[in-house]
Amino acid sequence: MSLLRSVADGFRALFRKTQVEQEMDEELRGYLDSAVEERMRDGMSHEEAQRAAKIEMGSIEMVKEEIRSAGWESAVETVWQDFRYGVRILRKDPGFTFVAVLTLALGIGVNTTIFSVVSSMLLRKPPVDDPDRLVMLLSKAPAATEWGADRRPVSAPDFLDWRAQATAYSGIAAASSVEDAVDFTLSGGTEPERVPGNRISADYFQVLGVAPVLGRTFLPGEEEVGHDRVMVLRQDLWKRHFGADPHVLGRAVKLNGENYTVVGIMPDSFRRMWMFPAQLWIPLAFTPAELGPAARRSHALSVFARLKPGATESAARAELITIAARVAAANPETEKGWSANLMTAQKYAIQEANATPALMFLTAAVGMVLLIACANLANLLLARNSNRQREFAIRTALGASRFRLARQLLSECLMLSLLGGGLGLLFAVWGLRLLRPAINWNEYSVLIAEMLSIDRSVLLFTLGVSVAAALVFGLAPAFQISRRDPNVGLKESSRSTTAGREHHRMQNLLVTGQLALSLILLVGAGLFVDSFVEETRLNRGLNSANLLTASVSLSGAAYQDPGSQSTFFQGVLHEIESAPQVRSAAVTSDLPYTFPGSANLTFEGRPAAKPDERPSAGYFAVSPGYFAVLQIPLLEGREFTLSDNARSAPVAIVNEAFAQKFFPNQNPLGRHINIENGNENSNSQRWSEIVGVVGNVNEFLGQVAPRPHIFEPFLQRPNSSMNLVVRVKTEPGAFSGSLRRAVWRVDKDQPVTNLRTMDRVVHDAGQGDDLMAELMGAFAGIALLMAAVGIYGLISYLVGRRTHEVGVRMALGARRGEILLLVLRNSMSRVCVGAGIGFLISLALPRLVNATFEGFYNVHSGWILVVTPLAVLLVALASCYVPARRATRVDPMTALRYE
Amino acid sequence: MEDRSSELVQGTLDMLILKTLALEPMHGYGIALRIEQISRGVFRVNPGSLFPAFKRLERAGWIKPEWRPTDNNRRAKYYALTEHGRKQLRAEKAQWGKQIAAITRILEAS
Repeated sequence: MSLLRSVADGFRALFRKTQVEQEMDEELRGYLDSAVEERMRDGMSHEEAQRAAKIEMGSIEMVKEEIRSAGWESAVETVWQDFRYGVRILRKDPGFTFVAVLTLALGIGVNTTIFSVVSSMLLRKPPVDDPDRLVMLLSKAPAATEWGADRRPVSAPDFLDWRAQATAYSGIAAASSVEDAVDFTLSGGTEPERVPGNRISADYFQVLGVAPVLGRTFLPGEEEVGHDRVMVLRQDLWKRHFGADPHVLGRAVKLNGENYTVVGIMPDSFRRMWMFPAQLWIPLAFTPAELGPAARRSHALSVFARLKPGATESAARAELITIAARVAAANPETEKGWSANLMTAQKYAIQEANATPALMFLTAAVGMVLLIACANLANLLLARNSNRQREFAIRTALGASRFRLARQLLSECLMLSLLGGGLGLLFAVWGLRLLRPAINWNEYSVLIAEMLSIDRSVLLFTLGVSVAAALVFGLAPAFQISRRDPNVGLKESSRSTTAGREHHRMQNLLVTGQLALSLILLVGAGLFVDSFVEETRLNRGLNSANLLTASVSLSGAAYQDPGSQSTFFQGVLHEIESAPQVRSAAVTSDLPYTFPGSANLTFEGRPAAKPDERPSAGYFAVSPGYFAVLQIPLLEGREFTLSDNARSAPVAIVNEAFAQKFFPNQNPLGRHINIENGNENSNSQRWSEIVGVVGNVNEFLGQVAPRPHIFEPFLQRPNSSMNLVVRVKTEPGAFSGSLRRAVWRVDKDQPVTNLRTMDRVVHDAGQGDDLMAELMGAFAGIALLMAAVGIYGLISYLVGRRTHEVGVRMALGARRGEILLLVLRNSMSRVCVGAGIGFLISLALPRLVNATFEGFYNVHSGWILVVTPLAVLLVALASCYVPARRATRVDPMTALRYE
Repeated sequence: MEDRSSELVQGTLDMLILKTLALEPMHGYGIALRIEQISRGVFRVNPGSLFPAFKRLERAGWIKPEWRPTDNNRRAKYYALTEHGRKQLRAEKAQWGKQIAAITRILEAS
């Protein structure tokens, strides 16, 4: 009741001002009259009574002011007043306003941009029901040293065991894992298309918590071989390939040459989950081979589960580890040492993306940029305040409290920072637009780029940062205001011969801090840039110029047997090599600078190792002449030839790292190895003879220790999915069309995908290192620029304050050069302190970077730590020089008269 | 009454006003006079404290104003206690009594 009355009364006071004023006047006048009457009753004369009453009442205006401020509306009014006053002040000095808003916009804008990335990668929850209850069940490898060893996919028999024994979940479902993403060829619609797809359990969508927009999901019976020719489409695929035709439900569609019936359509929200690139789904029907005991070694499933209501994550994890231990005990040959792990799906996605270290550095960098911007603004305001001393002094004399003045200043700061925040938001929108196409080094990064947007949390963040910035840079000047004695301000001349050193302590502190921060930022950026340049410059192990690559994955019943696969690729190579622009061509199962599959090895004459301790190497199946095409040096022995085929003795080639690791100080040529590359159930003892040793080629940029690789002739172990590498005489990109046509001349139904030049492949292998270097460099550049502007501003201001002193000195005979030196010496001493602090702190940076990135980065400093401080000092010197020179231009006579 | 003590008894002032109005509705000066008279000059409320108190009490719903015409063709603002006000007065009286008793006990303890 009283709240309503209070609100209503307040509004009345705001909007019916004259009426309320009149009533107050009337009441107070009545009061006065009654007081006079009373005194007259006591015996005073009329005049005496009036005088006494007025004295006792005091100033009517002050009483009215007391009455007014007793209501909430007066606070609103003062805020409004502050706002209008602030707008006037800002408009009076457009130069200052422009610089301030721009500085803030830059600082807030970069923060918003990076926060958008952080938000969409780390904070956004998957668009499923109750995302925190969706967990992933993972296998934990025995040797937990490799990155990702504690969250490996799950084997099919393990999945079934876990599903049977676990009690903590309302549902468990599996899907072929993200690493094993398979593309399917879809035909029967507008034109054949190759799309990523996934094999899933029947209750997969229920466990995830996503409902179909049309039709249904899979039934339990459809997990059986023979009943599994059904398919669910993603909405965008449905629109693109089938024109959003609802009658596609129940229709048969050709998938990899076989007929599947479409039964449902899933919503587009799957596009926003970067771990789920599949556009269509078919049931996961296990073949007997996939369920046999040896299949426990093939970890290829992503297992999702939904926690039962009441089940906790830690209890479920403990139960899972117990179950895994039981399974390992029951299957010692295949499962020894394997355990299990459990985490929310979101946490898994974050760990797999492996962007957290990079994001941390980026966030720190933009945070520093904002701090530098705030320091600039604080200095600007401090300088401006010294010009407003009279204004503050008068207001204090008129009765304004310190708090009131400080509040006025803070609301001006708030206005500035809200303006800056708005403009910064615009900068961020543009920034994201620039950023998205740069996040393109693999299909997952592209998915992440699509997810970047300005959402509600980003808007809230921008607002919060703006307010915080206003407090940060407004607090120092506001604090300073309240401490000044108004008498000083009211005096006409505020000339001081010694430049009031205590007034400038705050400003000096700010500039020192700016310099330190920008130095740290520059060193950090330098480390990233240098590391990236270094890793691209490193000997690549091959000649990547003029090389075009492409992927072909064979589908269709015609290519089920290995013979037809090798015939196809031989045919393609023949077609390609007959083109005039082509120097040479080859195929390989995996390109250099990508992560290949692994093969387990057994060496002849050495004892067989236990199943989980078997030596392994990166595995490649390549065509004859592969190494020559890529110009990978042949160190010993020979290359594969056409006579190394299915009918001849098995051979293999190894790389230098392999030879050093497995045959130290021995000659590997002539030795025999058994290679299991996981594509087959090889119980067969097939001994391949090592016939050659080639140079090392990396799997990713910045790899320091090369991995052992082993190569087999693809004619001896054909694969349905191979990559073409073609060396052309001219521009490789221009050959794309001819490449496709060459493939289609052999079989027109096979899609050619992923056409990239080898240079691009290497670039993509940087996994965004170039982007990181660019971003850090850009932020450091902005920071240095802001710091330079800050120094320039401060020195100009300080020099201006000492104009009188300079005049005196010159009148007493000082030469221009001496003045210059005086100013410079003074300014640079501040600069050196800041640079010194920054330098000391940045000494810790290389170690910090290496530790945070856990081996994916390897920075070494040296020249960066020397060059960067020098560069900063040089820039600072330039910033000091300009105002210093201005000081020497002063005419002594004007200076002496200057006040 | 000095400035310092008037701040102290802001809550008490409210209670005194309510009590004064418990007998009959009055206008501003009348209330001030009554308080001064009954307290024998100890409490002299100035308008700078009185009228903001009226505003507060009015907004809380404990008193309600009414304009009554005076003899010289003007009007005066009279305040009257509401039902809520009566209840509030009872509550505050009880609270005040408790506080007084406690303070007295503390002061008299040796």
